[in-house]
Formats: sequence, structure tokens, C-alpha cells
Amino acid sequence: MISDKLKSVLNKELNLSDFNFTEETTANQVPGWDSLNHINIILAIEKEYNTKFKGIEILRVKNLGDLQRLIDSKTAQ
Amino acid sequence: MPESIDFQRLLEMFQYDRFDPLLFGTSLFLFFFLAVLIVYRVFAKHNALRIYSLIFFSLFFYYKAANYFVALLLFSSILNFYSGKFIFKAASQNIKRLILTSTVIINLGILVYFKYTNFLIETIMSITGGEFEPLRILLPIGISFYTFKAMSYIVEIYFEMIEPTDSFRDFTLFIFFFPNLLMGPIDKASTFIPQIEKEYNLTNKEIGLAVFLICSGLIKKYVIADYVSLNFTDRVFEFPLRFTGVENLLAVYGATMAGYCDFSGYTDLALAVGLLLGFKMIDNFNRPFKANSIADYWRRWHISLSTWLLGYLFRPLQISLRNLKNYGTAIAIFVTFFAVGLWHGPNWTFIVFGLLHSTYLIFSMSTQKYRDAFYTKIGIKGSKGLRAFQIFFTFNIIAFTSILFRTPSLEYFSNMLSQIFTYFHGEVLFQYIEAYPIIIVLLVFAYLMHFTPDSWEKKTVEILSKTPVLLQAVVLAVVIWFVVQFKSAELQPFIYFKF
Repeated sequence: MISDKLKSVLNKELNLSDFNFTEETTANQVPGWDSLNHINIILAIEKEYNTKFKGIEILRVKNLGDLQRLIDSKTAQ
Repeated sequence: MPESIDFQRLLEMFQYDRFDPLLFGTSLFLFFFLAVLIVYRVFAKHNALRIYSLIFFSLFFYYKAANYFVALLLFSSILNFYSGKFIFKAASQNIKRLILTSTVIINLGILVYFKYTNFLIETIMSITGGEFEPLRILLPIGISFYTFKAMSYIVEIYFEMIEPTDSFRDFTLFIFFFPNLLMGPIDKASTFIPQIEKEYNLTNKEIGLAVFLICSGLIKKYVIADYVSLNFTDRVFEFPLRFTGVENLLAVYGATMAGYCDFSGYTDLALAVGLLLGFKMIDNFNRPFKANSIADYWRRWHISLSTWLLGYLFRPLQISLRNLKNYGTAIAIFVTFFAVGLWHGPNWTFIVFGLLHSTYLIFSMSTQKYRDAFYTKIGIKGSKGLRAFQIFFTFNIIAFTSILFRTPSLEYFSNMLSQIFTYFHGEVLFQYIEAYPIIIVLLVFAYLMHFTPDSWEKKTVEILSKTPVLLQAVVLAVVIWFVVQFKSAELQPFIYFKF
């Protein structure tokens, strides 16, 4: 499940009103989520959750489900 | 009395000849491929035999083009196969990184030695003022392509996107696979290896697609690319000062299309050959001149190289520099496109090509917000007119930057530009059209086809899939006959072979 908090960060950062984010959603399915914008989204998530990802952790993320699990593992610590 | 068979000549056909590799589209390749298909069909139910026969044919194919460099191909396979295993098994992240880094250094070290040694020495000598005597280093054909293919395997294991394969046989087929060995597409292990054990069975749709790709590949390469280059653009690019500005401009547009047709024609043939052997490969092109921005262009041109660099160079750099925000992204773009330039060869023209593209992208990224606001303000955001203008503008930037791809030095580049901007003579255009109608017709045809809706292509493939085999053969025969009418006596090597 993608949390409402993550959905709201993504909607805000990508200027979307209420995009249907699911566990399987990948970046290229989301309007405006391109390789140049990618880093701003990661920075916004890090700021919102007050955490810092390792480079390799972000590179291993394949879809939103992975991203949610990464955030959960960081915030659980 | 039938003439006796010249066994000497027959034997020579199977031996390495620097000037006679098995180019797609030659009659020798056709016989070779027919033999492969027959053996493949016979072994269709025996997986091991089928796979080994393909490995054997691929090795022969590479031997015909590169002689003893077959050993290098073998070395690359062993190195990356075991490195992949060790990365996967390594206990800690640090050891994984160490193995990955050292394997990448060895891979790139080999590539740099064969491709860039002379360029490096020459550059150092020009700074220090020493004498430069180029070393005799032969370039193993296809080295940039298969090195990148092999590296994608170990990087994907490091990123935990795939697990290493246990089968050295399957891995060698991934590296050796002859349809994409010399000029790509740079396939990924994660999509290729799972197809190896799949039962060999061609659907009507796959056969229809293969017939379509063969027809389009042959027309692109032999009718458009070769004819236009040989009879027109090569001459202008060789001596730009002998031609007026309008001819130089036509040559720029002509060479842009011919360059695309050369590379995408080859790719179409490679995809078709792969498909007939039961393998789907990544496509390299998606109508690149329909792009409405430079970023869009790189999503449509040489897709297998751009996704490789995006995933394994740009993104890791961008992430590690993320504290610098947009400046970090700008540095990542700059480094990536420097690599794009250098990947194409040891020449300053390629490096300038890469630097120009990175400048366009950085400019585009940093002005995007303001441009969007401006378009909204004057009420043209999202309009068809704006899109058409963006496509036209992007195409011209690409066409002019691509001059660097074909000129031997930066001086030629500036000569062409000065002819276009200071010695235009538009009136020559009509004389030119009268004198060379075929060139104009071919170019207009190529550009028109390029801008047709994508759905037309799908529809054509669909119709071909439903066409009886006999009629498919007739279509193919007509296209081949047509191509033969245009084919120059001397075969033109594919431009991308030299990369």
C-alpha cells in the first residue's frame, strides 16, 4: 500500500491533482516524472521523512512499492 | 560441361577477410543465415543442440569480421560471467563494489587501449610538443557494443535487478549472439537470457514483423542511405567549399536522414534476424525526428545506448550529487554526454558533439519553467502550432550538430556553416532539383515516411501477419529486386561499424 503521505508528496512535487499511485507504478508511467525531475522528487521525500537514502538504495528501487518499503525501513529505524 | 568448383575460392569464403565481413544484406550473409535457420529448425526440439549451434555460428560470424579477436570476445565472457557470480556471492557491500569497480576498469581498460591509445598519445604530445608516431592498433569490430552489453550484466547484478545465470553457455550466447554483436542493439541480460531456453516457435505476427523489418531495413540502408550518401552528401562533406550554401544545407538535411537510415536500417535487419531465431531485442529507434525537445530526441535515438548510459552512469552520478540539486544534475548531464561523444570515437568532433548536446539539455532544463509560464501566458501551451515549431526547431539543432558526426575535423564543420550563412545562393536549388531528381524524391519520401503516424506501421505489420506465406515471399522478392536496382556496385560499410 502506498501511504497517503507519500502520495501527497508526489502529487505536490509533480503538480498532479490526485494521480492513482499503486505499488506497481513506475516512474515512466507518471506524467512529469522524468530523469531530470527524478532527483527533486527524491530530495522532497528525504525532506518530508527527514531521512537520507544511500545511493545504491535509490538505484535499486524499481517501482513505488519498493520506494514505500525503503521509506518504511528507514522510518522504522 | 559444368565448370568445376573452385575449392580455393570456396575455402576463402569461410576465412577472415578484413574487407569482407558477413554484412547483413550481402548474398554470402543470406546463405549463411539460411544455413543457420535450417540447422536451427532441425534442432528446434533439442534445446542444447539448438543453443550450441547458435553459439558456433555466432563465433564464426565474429571470426569472419574480426579474426583472432574472437579470443577477446571469449575473455570478455569469462571475465564478466565470473565477476557477476562473485558480486552476487560477496558478503559485504564494500566487496561487491570492489569487484564491480575492478571489472569495469578491466572492461574499459581494454576498450580504451584499442580505441583511444593513439588519441591519448597524440593529445599529450600536442601539449608537450613531442613527435607523434601513431601505433598500429587494429580496432576489434563491435568492441564498444559487446563491452557495454557485458557490463550491463554485472551492473544489473550489483543493483540487484537480476541474479547471475548459472549457465556459462547461456551467458556466452548473450555476449556472442551474432544479430546484435557488431552494431547493437545493446541488449540487457535481464531481457535476453530468459528467452534462450524458451521453446522455438514463431507466431504469424512475429513472421509478419520480421518480413516488415527486412523490407524496411533493406530500403533504408541500400536505397536511401547508400544512394544518397554516395551520390550526394559524401561529396559535399568532402569538399564543402566547392558547393553553395543551399547545397551544403541540403547535404546537412540529406546526411541527417541518411545517417538515421543507415543505423536504423541495420537495426531493423538485426531485429528481424533475431526475431526469426526466436529472440526479441530492444528496439533502438522511435522516429527520432518527431522529437519536440533534445531530451525527447535521446529517448528516441539509439535507445539501447541512451538507456544504458541513463541507468548506469547518469542516474548514479545524479544521485550522488543530489545535494547540489540542479547543479548536480547539470554535472551528471555534462559527464554523460562527454561519454556519449567519446564512445563514438577518438576525435574532437565527437567530443564537441557530446558537449553541445549537454549544453542544449542543461539550457532546456534550466529554462523549462520560464518557457512553460510564457507559453501559458500567451495562450499557446499544448497547442499543435507550438508542438510543430518545437519539432522543427529540435530537428534543425540535431541536423546541424550531426554535421560533426561526418566531418573529419572541426575546420570542415565551420566551412559548412560559413557556406550556408554567407554563400547561400538559393537560386541553385531549382537547378539542383532538375539535375538530381532521384536524390530529392528519395529524401522527400524518407522524410514523409518518417512523419507518418506510428499506427500506420502497426497496421502494415498486422496486414503482413495475415498475408499467406507465399504472398509474403512475393513482397520480399519485389523489395529485394527494387533494392538491387539501387544497390551500388561497391558495398558501403555501415557507419556505426567504426564505433
